[in-house]
Amino acid sequence: MSVPRARILDLMKAQCQLFSTTFNPDGIRTGNKILRERLKGPSVVSYYPRKMFTYRDFMTEFKNLDLFVENEEEADRLEHLAGVKARGKGAPKKKNAPPSPHDKKR
Amino acid sequence: MSFFKRAKKLDIGCFINIKTIRDHTKRVAFAEAEAQRQALRYAVRNTTLPQRTRAIAQLQLSQMHCYTRPTQIRNRCIMGGKGRGVLSDFKMSRFNFRLEALAGNIPGVKKASW
Repeated sequence: MSVPRARILDLMKAQCQLFSTTFNPDGIRTGNKILRERLKGPSVVSYYPRKMFTYRDFMTEFKNLDLFVENEEEADRLEHLAGVKARGKGAPKKKNAPPSPHDKKR
Repeated sequence: MSFFKRAKKLDIGCFINIKTIRDHTKRVAFAEAEAQRQALRYAVRNTTLPQRTRAIAQLQLSQMHCYTRPTQIRNRCIMGGKGRGVLSDFKMSRFNFRLEALAGNIPGVKKASW
């Protein structure tokens, strides 16, 4: 009771037409599975949260209303820098020119 | 080309160090080149194409910048930038997750007790 191969192929063809799939009886690799994959890019890029609103934006919003907002952290930082500088422990000044060979080496 | 250009302005709002910035750069590069990668991958896998075309596609794929490879991307902790022990559901390393969960900052998570 074996069914001839040609008949099975006919059946497969009809099946493929009916369900609009690709008729590929020999199982040739056409790489279609790559095309079927969804693009992962958008979900991959959105892993890290986007920058929404910074303190500076907050300050400029109020500046438009002629209001002044104090940034406490920034004030603390500047105060600390002033203290360091007064003790002579501040960062050195930026040099404009590249170091010459005559500069003292440490 | 070992150096890949990263965004001029910082556009991520989580914990920031060079590793998270670099990882984000890789993600953007991957997303930009994904269509091209998939096209080349398709050409490589398609056995009905001539052998030469497939070989060229393979070569082009291997010569694309390493930042466009999906395997370069690693999920990092958004609270501390750590690359290991990151719970992908919460995008946090295990310790940061514990701290946040105990503080009640993660909705629907509470310490098990029975």
